[in-house]
Amino acid sequence: MVKSHAVLSGKDKVIRCIIFVCLTLFSLLMLYPVVYIIMGSFKENAELLLGGTHILPRHFVLENYVQAWKAANFARYTFNSIYISVGVMLLSIFATSMAGYVFARKQFPFKELLYSLYIAFMFVNVGSVTLRPLFELAVKVKMNTSLLSVIFISAGTGQATYMFLARGFVQSIPKEIDEAAKIDGCSFFQIYYRILLPLLQPIIATIGVLSFRGGWNEYIMPLVFTMSNDKLRPLTVGVVMLKGSGDGTAAWNIMFAGATISIVPIILIYIFSTKHFMNGMIAGAVKG
Amino acid sequence: MKKKYHDGNIAAAFMLFPSLVLLIVTSIYPFFWLFRYVCYDYNGFAAYFTRTYNFTRMLSDTTFWWSVVHTFEYAGLKLVIIIPLSLLIAVLLNQGMRGTHTFQTIFFMPTVISAAIYSLIFSFIFAVFNGPLNVALQSIGAIKTPVDWLGNAKIVMYSIIIVAVWGGLGNYMIYFISGLTSVPDEVYESCRIDGANAFQTFFRITLPMMSPILKVILMLAITTAFKDYESIIVLTNGAPNNRSHVMFSYIYNLIFASSTTPQIGYATMLSIVAALIIGIVTALYLFFARKLDNVV
Repeated sequence: MVKSHAVLSGKDKVIRCIIFVCLTLFSLLMLYPVVYIIMGSFKENAELLLGGTHILPRHFVLENYVQAWKAANFARYTFNSIYISVGVMLLSIFATSMAGYVFARKQFPFKELLYSLYIAFMFVNVGSVTLRPLFELAVKVKMNTSLLSVIFISAGTGQATYMFLARGFVQSIPKEIDEAAKIDGCSFFQIYYRILLPLLQPIIATIGVLSFRGGWNEYIMPLVFTMSNDKLRPLTVGVVMLKGSGDGTAAWNIMFAGATISIVPIILIYIFSTKHFMNGMIAGAVKG
Repeated sequence: MKKKYHDGNIAAAFMLFPSLVLLIVTSIYPFFWLFRYVCYDYNGFAAYFTRTYNFTRMLSDTTFWWSVVHTFEYAGLKLVIIIPLSLLIAVLLNQGMRGTHTFQTIFFMPTVISAAIYSLIFSFIFAVFNGPLNVALQSIGAIKTPVDWLGNAKIVMYSIIIVAVWGGLGNYMIYFISGLTSVPDEVYESCRIDGANAFQTFFRITLPMMSPILKVILMLAITTAFKDYESIIVLTNGAPNNRSHVMFSYIYNLIFASSTTPQIGYATMLSIVAALIIGIVTALYLFFARKLDNVV
């Protein structure tokens, strides 16, 4: 965005300066919890329990991570988190890019009705109670002992937004491209696979990061599904579980390390693909 | 030619299939399942038909009705803070100042973190004994004795709001920024020539021109605020004495709390009522938004 660089008067400059200072102070407040937890994860437990506002650790230790990784099963949790989020990401891209393409390019009976069904179920929210039938269903088809059910549900409940994004993007591609490909002998699926899929890359990247985040951050649903199965817990569930366990304050350092393991990867992904996150949120909100 | 067209239909059906299965299994089926146990006492193993007992029980369940009140309190407070604050930040960031991109990135960052994890982080920050917030406030002399942020019935809702605002601010900021950039620069230019000051420009020009997108943003904000509960489950789980229970956190505990037998039939009843309440609020909002349209 190029703004006009008009000559600013002295008063304008002072106002800008004040705004800048206010925003800087505010962003420090916003950053504080994240910096606090990351720095805290390198503190000794005794120092953590002592509390206070010191950000930097007095003694820089990696002990917390070693403990979390070995004793508290965080290696397993981390693997599960990655497994879930990659699964959700792949399933979301697979299902919604195709559905978006069909909705954008194909006329069929009850199309608008079906489309509004997607929107309706995005807005109807009955809370956690829907997890109960899904859990019973998973038990029935013997999927309650694998994380596939978690992936399936996370992708299913998040898909509406991604489908709108994909549909909107396909609609913005000129139809002439399809027609040219058709004349060259491409079938309906081949047009999608050979011609449009390469063009869809930006929106697939957006769907990818948003759904990965969705899977990574899922909490209540995997909590319910892994209630009796410690081995299947993702990071979010594993870390928060420690809070309620009897150890209480003794596990603070492990919770700090676990929370850091959970937030740092997603923040790194965010920093490298800020645009995708933000544009996805905007497009999803305006179109949805 | 005709055959080709027909092929396309089959291919389309196959391509729609995965998404459709997801929709049916994860959204439609659980929704209709809800109505199955409304009149039952169902603990997960056995279901007993209890006629209208769930309904009469709901009418006299003060904890539930208080949780409805708390939901409105939570949603109202959250909206009153988060909407003006994010709008203000969006306007400030729309001035083309240096560092705009960095500020945006920082303010949006909380939205990529799991609500469960940042709520856990805040429960450390709110710690009574030497928690960072208490220590900081004590050292500048704002408070004399440590405050029990999550244990004091009078304060707990405000603490939860702080967490909600921290976590959600970035979303609305981004929405507002995209709304602001849709107002053409020429409009501001002509305002300046006409001698309008910053406030006049904002209230007379920017806000009215943004009103279509503002309505969408408010709608999203309302529906999200009414269905938030994840963060409350981690922060307080309703403590102290159910003071911080919203509808959905109360319902969650009826089904999934490990300490009691699941009361699924009753929970489905409450879920339907909760969904209706949110539906009514949304409908009222849409009605008034349209009314407002006719006036302006």
